[in-house]
Amino acid sequence: MTIGQIGNIFTVIAFAASFMSMVAYFLADRKNDDTYLRLGRISFLAHSLAVIGMVATLFIMIFNQYFEYHYVWQHSNTDMPMKYIFSCFWEGIEGSFMIWTFWHVILGLILFKSVKGWEAPVLSVISAVQFFMLSMLLGSVIFGHKFGSNPFTMLLREHPDFSNLPIFENVNYTDAIDGRGLNPLLQNYWMVIHPPFVLFGYATAIVPFAYAIAGLLRGKYIEWVKPALSWTFFGIGVLGIGVLMGGAWAYESLSFGGFWAWDPVENASLVPWLTMVGAGHLMLIQRKKGVSVLSLFFLTTITFCLVQYASFLTKSGVLGDTSVHSFTDLGMTGQLAVSLIFFCVLSIVLIAINYKRFPTHEKEESITSREFWMFVSSLILLVAAFIISFSTSFPVINKLFGTNLATTVERIDYYNQWITPFAIITSLLLAIGQYLKYTKTDMRSFWKNISISAGLSTIIAVASAIAMEMRNPIYIALLFTSLLATTANTHYWLLFLKGKMKSASASIAHIGFGLLLLGVLISTTESEVISTNSSLYDISVLGEDFSNNENILLMQNDTLIMGDFFVSYRGKRAEDNFIHYEVEYMQPNESGELEKQFTLYPYLQLNPRMGNVAEPYTKHYLHKDIYTHISYAELEDKSEDAILEEHSVGLGDTIFTKTSFMVFDSLDRTPQKRFGGLTENDLAIGAHFTLFDVNTKAHQLEPLFVLRNREFSMTVPDSIPDLGIKISFDGIDPENESFKFRILEEAPKFNDFIVMKAIVFPGINILWLGCIVMGLGSFLSVWQRIRRK
Amino acid sequence: MKKSHIALIIVIAVLIGAMITAINDSSSYANFAEAFANPTDEFHVVGQLNREKEMIYDPLTNPDEFVFYMYDINNEEHKVVLHKSKPQDFERSEQIVLIGQAQGDAFHANEILMKCPSKYTEGEVTAKAESNS
Repeated sequence: MTIGQIGNIFTVIAFAASFMSMVAYFLADRKNDDTYLRLGRISFLAHSLAVIGMVATLFIMIFNQYFEYHYVWQHSNTDMPMKYIFSCFWEGIEGSFMIWTFWHVILGLILFKSVKGWEAPVLSVISAVQFFMLSMLLGSVIFGHKFGSNPFTMLLREHPDFSNLPIFENVNYTDAIDGRGLNPLLQNYWMVIHPPFVLFGYATAIVPFAYAIAGLLRGKYIEWVKPALSWTFFGIGVLGIGVLMGGAWAYESLSFGGFWAWDPVENASLVPWLTMVGAGHLMLIQRKKGVSVLSLFFLTTITFCLVQYASFLTKSGVLGDTSVHSFTDLGMTGQLAVSLIFFCVLSIVLIAINYKRFPTHEKEESITSREFWMFVSSLILLVAAFIISFSTSFPVINKLFGTNLATTVERIDYYNQWITPFAIITSLLLAIGQYLKYTKTDMRSFWKNISISAGLSTIIAVASAIAMEMRNPIYIALLFTSLLATTANTHYWLLFLKGKMKSASASIAHIGFGLLLLGVLISTTESEVISTNSSLYDISVLGEDFSNNENILLMQNDTLIMGDFFVSYRGKRAEDNFIHYEVEYMQPNESGELEKQFTLYPYLQLNPRMGNVAEPYTKHYLHKDIYTHISYAELEDKSEDAILEEHSVGLGDTIFTKTSFMVFDSLDRTPQKRFGGLTENDLAIGAHFTLFDVNTKAHQLEPLFVLRNREFSMTVPDSIPDLGIKISFDGIDPENESFKFRILEEAPKFNDFIVMKAIVFPGINILWLGCIVMGLGSFLSVWQRIRRK
Repeated sequence: MKKSHIALIIVIAVLIGAMITAINDSSSYANFAEAFANPTDEFHVVGQLNREKEMIYDPLTNPDEFVFYMYDINNEEHKVVLHKSKPQDFERSEQIVLIGQAQGDAFHANEILMKCPSKYTEGEVTAKAESNS
C-alpha cells in the first residue's frame, strides 16, 4: 500500500466518522440514550485519530519529498531549506484546512474531557463543522461533481497531461522529478508560525458557537454562557495575537510599507475578532446582570459565521486581484459557500424558532450602569465589524449583483478615516468602564476617581500633540482617549485593586488595548517617508502632479541626505538566491565629519519561476523604526551594444571616438623590452597613442602588431576599461604608409545604483507591547476563571 | 422606549450612512474608454501589457515614474504612466490591474496589481538537480 492510499483511508475514515459522531451525539441528546452517547464518543475518537493520521501522513510525505504526489510537488522542492517544511504543509488550501480540522480535534478532545453535561450537543456541533470541512478534503467525484481537493492525490492523476513528458517515460520517474517549490514570499519564519496560530484562533470560535447552538437545541438559553465564557476570552487572546502576528509579518518581511494595509484577507481575520470581543463582553453582562438573550446568541453565532466567511473569502478565489495573499481557486467556491450558508441558516433558524421562548429582559438599565455601556461597546464593535466587512465584500457583492464596485486607491486612508471614530468611542468606554458600577454608579465618586487619570492624560496628550505637531483634531481626540484608556485602567489596577493579579485581567487587557491604539495612532499618523529624492537629478521638471517622490536613487558610493541621516549605497553581495544591498547610514559628529551609525541590508530574493521579491530591512530603536526596502535594482549588467570601427591612419593622425580622441604619436620598434610575452624571434611593433577623455585627461595606449616566426601575425590589443575603449593594431599597409586599427567602444558603464524606499515608524513598539499586554490580559481572565472553579 | 432600543436605532442609522458613503467613495472597474470619458474619476482598469512597445523606466531621472503601453479587455491600447518604481518582474506579468485616472493622452496610475503566470498555472515539471538524483 502506498502512503497516498494510507492518507486517503484516513481521510475517508475521518469524514465518515465525523458524520457518525454528529448524528449519534445529536440523537444521544434528543433521546437521552447512553448507547448513542457511546457511539458518538467512539466515532469522535475515531475521527480524531484519523485526522491526526492525515496530518502525520502529509507531513511524512513532505518530509520525504515524495514529489510523485501532487500536493508535495506543488508546494516544495529539493532546494528548499528544511526549516520551511511546515510552511509547505499549510501553503495550500488542503494543508490549511487540515491544520484547522486538527485544531478543532484538539479543542474537541479537551471539551470531551471537561464539558460535563453538554458533551452530546456540543460535540455534535463540532462534528458537523468537521463534516463540512472534511468534505473539502475528499477530492472524490460524486454525481459528476468534484467534492473538495485531496492532498494525497498522485501528480499524474491530477495532471494526466504530464504523462507525455519525456521525464515520465522513465519507470522510476518518481526519483527524477523535482517539486515546484514554495512561493518565495512565504519562505519566511513568519509563515512557519503565523498560519497555524491564526487558524487556531479561528478554531477557537467553534467552542462558543457549539455551546450557543447546544443552548438553543436544548432550550437552555442562559446556562450555556458560563462554560462558553472562558473559551471566548481564550479565543479573543489567541485570535487577537494571531491577527497582529500577521501585521508583524507584513511589517517585518513584506514590502507593503507598514503593518496593516486593510487588505481583504487581513480584514477578514480582524472582523470575527471584533465580534468575538463583543460576544465575550455580552457574556460577562449576562453572568452579572442578565442581558438581551437575542443579542447574545446573535453575536456568538455571527462570530463563527464570520470565521467561515473569512475562510470563504480567502479560499474561494473570489478576491482574485484584490488581495495579495488569497489562495488560488481550486473550484471549491460552491462547496465553501454551501458550508457558510448552512451555518448561517442554522443559526438564524434556531434563533427564530426559539425567539418566542427567550427569557425577557425587561428591566431598564440605568444610564450610569456598567452593563449599559458594556452593551453599547459590544454594539459599537459590531458596527465597526460590519463597516469593515461591507467594503471588504465588494468582490462578493459584485459577483452576486453584477455590480463593479472596487475599493479606492486610497483604501488605507478610507478605512482609517472610518474606523478612527469607533476607536475613539471604544477607547473612551474602556477607560471609564471599570469606574462604572453594575446597576447604578454614584456619579460624584465616579468623577472624583477618574479625574486624576483624565488630568494626567490631558497633559500628556497636549504635550505630545505639540511635540509631534499633530494638528488633526480627530487624531488628537484618539491620542487623548487611548492615553486615558491606558492611564485609567492602570490607575484602577494599582489603586482600587491594589496591584493584585486577582481580578486584574480586565484592567490589563484594557491597558493593552489602549497601548495598542496609541501605537497604531502614532506609528500611522507620524510615519514619514524619508526617502524623498535628494539626488542631483531634478525630477520636478517632469511634472509634480503625480510625482509620489517616495523613492530615493542611490548611486554606488555617493552620499545623499535622507531624513536625519546621510546614506550611501556601498555595494551588493549575492548569497544563494538573495542579493543583499549594503546601505550605510551616517551622521555628522561634533567635528562635522560623517560617522557611520549603522548599516542596513535590504535584499531581493530571486526566484526565476515565481518572481523576485524585495524584502525589507529595518533598524529598530526603542522609540522608532527605520524601515527600508529596495524598490528597484538593475539585476543584469546592462551594457549597450559596443561600436566597432576600423581606421586606417598615418603617424601623427588623430582618431575620434564617441567620447574621446586619440593621437597616434609614435611607433615603438622595440616593444620586447616592455612586453614579457614576446620572444627574440618575434617581429613586433607598437603603436603609441595618447587618448584624451571628455575631461581632457590623458591616457596612454599601446596596441602591438606581432609577426611570430615571420609566419603568422597576431595582435596584442590595449584597453582603458573605465572608458570602455579597446584598440587593436591589425596591420600595416607599407604602400600608403598607413596603419590599420580597430577600435571597440562600449558605452561607458553607469555606476551601480539602487532605488530605495525608507519610512520612519515612530512608536511602533507601543503597538507590539500593547498587543502582548492585551493577550496576557485575555489569558489571565481565562486562567482566573479556571482557578475559581 | 428602552435605552437599548435607542442605541439600536442609532446603530442602524450609522450602518446605513456607512453603506452609502462606502458606495459613494468606491471606485469601479472600467475599460479605457470609460476612464478617458471621465477623466476626473478614479477607475480600476484591467488589461495586458503590450510587449511590442517600449517600456521606459529611467530611475536616474525619476525613480517614481514608469511608462508602458497596455491593452484593456476591449483591446484598446493606451499609454500608461505609473507613478511608482517599476515593479519587480514586470515583463512577466500576465494581467495588470491599474488604479488611477486618465489625464491627457495617458492613463496615470498610482497603484498597480499584477498577476504573474507561474503563480497560477502549472505547466512544467523539472528534474532534480544532478547532485540529488
